[in-house]
Amino acid sequence: MPQQFEQPQSQSQETHEDDALAQAATQAADQSQDQSDVLDSILDDIESTLETNAEEYVNSFVQKGGE
Amino acid sequence: MPQLRDSGTRALHATEPVPSAEMDGFCRIFGVETEYGVAVTGAEKPVDAGQVAMTMFQPIVSRSRSTNTYLTNGSRLYLDVGSHPEYATAEARDPREALAQDLAGEQVMRGLALKAQAKLRESYGEHATIHVFKNNVDSAGHAFGCHENYLVRRFVPLEAVEHQLLPFLITRQLYTGAGRMTPDGFQITQRADFLDEAVSSATTRSRPMVNTRDEPHADPDSFRRLHVIIGDSNRSQWSTWMKLAVTHLVLCSIEEAFRRGEPSGFEDWAFVDPAAANRAMSRFLDAPDAMLPLASGESVSALTLQRRYFRAVESFVADHRETMDSAFVAGVPVTGLSGDAVAGSPTTTILGEWDHALRALEQGDYDALADRVDWAAKRRVFEALRRRRPEVTFAQLEQLELDYHDIANGRLYGSLTARSQMRRLLTADETERAIHEAPQDTRAALRGRFVEAALASGAQFSADWTHLTVTAPERREAVLLDPFEAAPTPEFSQLMESLGR
Repeated sequence: MPQQFEQPQSQSQETHEDDALAQAATQAADQSQDQSDVLDSILDDIESTLETNAEEYVNSFVQKGGE
Repeated sequence: MPQLRDSGTRALHATEPVPSAEMDGFCRIFGVETEYGVAVTGAEKPVDAGQVAMTMFQPIVSRSRSTNTYLTNGSRLYLDVGSHPEYATAEARDPREALAQDLAGEQVMRGLALKAQAKLRESYGEHATIHVFKNNVDSAGHAFGCHENYLVRRFVPLEAVEHQLLPFLITRQLYTGAGRMTPDGFQITQRADFLDEAVSSATTRSRPMVNTRDEPHADPDSFRRLHVIIGDSNRSQWSTWMKLAVTHLVLCSIEEAFRRGEPSGFEDWAFVDPAAANRAMSRFLDAPDAMLPLASGESVSALTLQRRYFRAVESFVADHRETMDSAFVAGVPVTGLSGDAVAGSPTTTILGEWDHALRALEQGDYDALADRVDWAAKRRVFEALRRRRPEVTFAQLEQLELDYHDIANGRLYGSLTARSQMRRLLTADETERAIHEAPQDTRAALRGRFVEAALASGAQFSADWTHLTVTAPERREAVLLDPFEAAPTPEFSQLMESLGR
């Protein structure tokens, strides 16, 4: 039997389910906020790379032969 | 069931002794050969990349009098035609060990590049920067490779590899492709547009997907070496590990079928035109449901075919779990996989990761794979960048994509791992150890000891995968034919004695 990943815990009682759903929704919102924060930080990290001349950078890489 | 065995087939229950003790069971030797690309930016005057590659190898030449050598970790380091630095991992019994060896190769290349860069800056200015790309295509459309080697039991005929394994190798790129920005859009593989023949005996003249030149570097009566060319170079540790692990499981199914003379279940899945199927599959994001014609007359999507392989392998594993688990001698990596899975058996873990990846693809949730699949990671960053800077140019995306593969001075991949957006399967310690230490349960252990002793004694030596030779002062040689054997042979011991060990 393959492992299940990231499956939310099932709740037996309805109120728990509602609570859990609300909590999960908050968590999901937080998570997506976190994710976009993290992506922003990553884009900041690579900003300096993008400032160099992209065409020149790409065209500098010409390789012959191989395999 | 048609007779599929070729003339080289050995009946398993024949009365003559089986040549290798490893013929039964599911153990295997794994290896990964990676070609790197070299470029220089920021130099004050023009500089030739070939010259830079030679400068990188200067320490190797002064050590070994050659640009082709073996390291104390048992791996091979050399400068290939066209000035591609290349690193071939030592023989590993386990995907985790092969991953460690491959990552060690990245570190070795990085060390050579940074040393050469310091030297380069003396003449070409302080901004001269060496880029070493672990990718598969340059800006002019020259393609180069990352080749996997699997020792396969010889009773599996080559036609079976072509018909039963190739459809798997093509479609596994759904979760192992490195992705590439092309003028026609983002593809999930680097190389689909550059591979045209399914199976061939050469690699440089044509671009086959599986190479059949028969150099097993082992007992040729027992094994052949399957040389897989259709595969991208991965930065993702998860993808490197998974492509070896899952391919191993599929190979086990095929081997067992021939061992028992029973169908594997993969007989009817060959593509009518593998190269066309590969190109269509690479454009998965444009048409996830593109139908690919099979020789059987049926048409299926790439994802459907992967799911079929998954189901077949899952049921095969269920019948052989214990034996198959015992072949994973190094166990599964300690991090980057599901916690529950790690506690379970290696095959359970692999199947779990495989199933999860397919499910994410089936649901169109590609971002769910952005922390483990190279193309998905790139795609996510590109989309975020386009949102922030709608004016971003194609050249900038191309540059960023190359930067992702630059193991010497790249920023993007390092940023993703540092911010926990890319899974790491091995600890820094495990990789560091693999830079110096060979796998201890294969022939590589003996090669590693030999290289270490030869370097320490200052003797001239040469080696290949099966031979260890001291060339001066007195010529001596040891032949190591069995890649599974890590115990010294008398010949090896004599060789080591001549080196003062």
